[in-house]
Amino acid sequence: MTTAPAKPTDPAIQKTLRTGWLLLAIALPLGVTLEALHGFKVQAYLASEMRREMWRLAHAHGTLLGILCLVFAAVADAHVPQVIRGRVAAFIRWGAVLMPLGFFLGGVLNSEGDPSLGILLVPVGALLLVVALVRVALAPRPR
Amino acid sequence: MGSRRLVLTACLAAAPLAVGLVLALGHDVRRAEAARPLFERDQDYVGASACRACHPDHHASWRRTFHASMTQLPDRTTVRGRFDGTAVTAFGASATPFARDGRFFFQLPAVGGDGPREAEVALTVGSRRYQQYFERVDGPSGTVYRRLPLLWHIGEGRWMHMNGVFLESDDDDWSKHQAIWNANCVFCHNTGIAPGLKPDGDSGNKRFDTHVADVGIACESCHGPARAHVSLYTSPVARYGAARGRGGPRAIVDPLRVGQAQSAALCGQCHAQRIPDPVDKIWTFLDSGPTFRPGGLLAGHVKTLTRDTDVPPPGDPDTFRERFWGDGTARLTAYEYVGLTQSPCFRGGTFSCASCHTMHAGDAAGQLAPDRLGDRACTQCHAAIARDVSAHTHHAPASSGSRCVECHMPRIVYGVLDIHRSHRVEVPDVARDVEASRPNACAVCHTDRDAAWVADRMRDFWGARYRRPEGGAPETAEALASLHAGDPVQRAVYVAALGRADSGVPAGARGFALANAMVGLGDAYGAVRFLARRSALALDQSLKLGIGGDLAAYDVQAGRDVRDPALQALLQRFAVAARERLAPPPAGLFVKPDWQLDLERIRPLLGSQSRHVISVGE
Repeated sequence: MTTAPAKPTDPAIQKTLRTGWLLLAIALPLGVTLEALHGFKVQAYLASEMRREMWRLAHAHGTLLGILCLVFAAVADAHVPQVIRGRVAAFIRWGAVLMPLGFFLGGVLNSEGDPSLGILLVPVGALLLVVALVRVALAPRPR
Repeated sequence: MGSRRLVLTACLAAAPLAVGLVLALGHDVRRAEAARPLFERDQDYVGASACRACHPDHHASWRRTFHASMTQLPDRTTVRGRFDGTAVTAFGASATPFARDGRFFFQLPAVGGDGPREAEVALTVGSRRYQQYFERVDGPSGTVYRRLPLLWHIGEGRWMHMNGVFLESDDDDWSKHQAIWNANCVFCHNTGIAPGLKPDGDSGNKRFDTHVADVGIACESCHGPARAHVSLYTSPVARYGAARGRGGPRAIVDPLRVGQAQSAALCGQCHAQRIPDPVDKIWTFLDSGPTFRPGGLLAGHVKTLTRDTDVPPPGDPDTFRERFWGDGTARLTAYEYVGLTQSPCFRGGTFSCASCHTMHAGDAAGQLAPDRLGDRACTQCHAAIARDVSAHTHHAPASSGSRCVECHMPRIVYGVLDIHRSHRVEVPDVARDVEASRPNACAVCHTDRDAAWVADRMRDFWGARYRRPEGGAPETAEALASLHAGDPVQRAVYVAALGRADSGVPAGARGFALANAMVGLGDAYGAVRFLARRSALALDQSLKLGIGGDLAAYDVQAGRDVRDPALQALLQRFAVAARERLAPPPAGLFVKPDWQLDLERIRPLLGSQSRHVISVGE
């Protein structure tokens, strides 16, 4: 007989956990789709080096940042002070969504040499993640 | 729970749906490429970008070649010329290349019945030695691309007029080389060609509606039309099956897996000047394009030109004959296939273009396979000679005289303002060559020696079967006699030979070569003057005479009113500098002891020069 795991009580952790799973649920099928496009040599995808690069990065970032969200949700209660937890969790969630989304949009309506303007979401997301990292690093440690 | 399932399903479906939507509605490189002027891929051809999906490395190695950029649509990345609004004067008139809004134009002078006008560049041809420009003209002949009078010489970094590029004497007619791309260049400089010359209703006229699968010489030029191959191998099962040796027909040609004749024909479809076989097939060629496909033989599609090929009426019967030396060896470029098939090495063996060249490796200039550079192209078969080169060559092992190609593929072929190697791989024979009015491999290097000296050395080295040539001027240096008295190709070959750094004449003793090269600066043919100036510059640099600045300023395309006084001044400066810095020249080399030209001997030779026009057919 199995028992359901205890549900986290902190709403920030709950949201981050949900975001992580959702990111994985989107990024993994994206990877499968890209593999299929390669497999069947779909010209509309393979002929654009820029689009291939952008969508590869979208898949990789979506997957890894989804895992980051899950890891954060797992360790936040013990290692991230309550006072900053909500803000840091929000930064991580938004960063984790904006980066792969920016890469994906960068491969939509792109030219041969440059991604589309959707790529601008990437540095915004990256900045949010860096800020989250810095805030956690500078927060006082529980004794 | 239902809501959670809905969210999960939406998430799982989001990416595939978004990808499908973007690919269906978004920018498509292939569609955009096919929508450009001239492109049409609805027949058997798919275009090079389709090949990249499975063969990215081969695509990249091809993309860097000059084949790929032979024909290009004009933009900032493809146009090599300096369209900076500076006027270019040549052959009695001026034109101004300029750019506007990212497009490229020439302001042209009045020519024939046309007044001064702007012509926009719609197409470029060439990317290695020089780049020619074509304008689009929509008229009674349909949409045609007409050659513009100026080209950009990439090596020289300067504009040149077409009239000074071919083997013909100076001419102020600016309309002389207005070739139509659709009926000429299109055949060898593009892929999947359909010139589209069709009757225009009942008018009795014909109009061009030209299409190509790719501008430039792309994958399908050598591998054949690829639509069936792409269709077959879109399936991963077919691809992996083929990789494991379980594939069916490949539906594509691998040039390395066809027979010798087919392999040579594949290059020969362009590297051989040819006429349709039979000749009236020309109308098929001008409509749906050449009928030869890689993997086949040229016979039945085209007849390659030789010295004995009859010129279809009403052409000049000498047109083809003059493109070959007297012994049938080609003396213009684009006859490499003819030379190859004339070579003893070709008979009954596997020797072919791919024995030395590769499309996917090595230096893009020459496209020699890296593992066959230098003598290795020959020693892969003639290994015994490689073990003791000097025993075979009777020259120092490291010298140019011991390089296989210098003797067996000498530089005696004119094309694109340069001198190239003959592709008739054979044994040199001075008597045969001189009697056929053909430059001899030894004389091209030993430019101070006469034919009798060459014959005597050949007999010393390789036996009594070599004899002195009959007739000619046995006591005169062969290179110099041909330079002054020869026909345009002889003059071009020898004036270029004078300036070679690896000449058989010691570096410090080449003052006579510079003096004689300067005679070439006054040649009636602009192409010869161009090569003469290049040689003179190289010789001045090697002799350190300090007249390089004046030589560089000598405009080979200026009118005689400018050139003649400049040449006189140059000759005087040369004589002064040579007297100061060089020992007196040996006798008999058309230079007096005071380094003045021996005009009493040179003038009679100049008077016997042949001045005919050689139809280069580039």
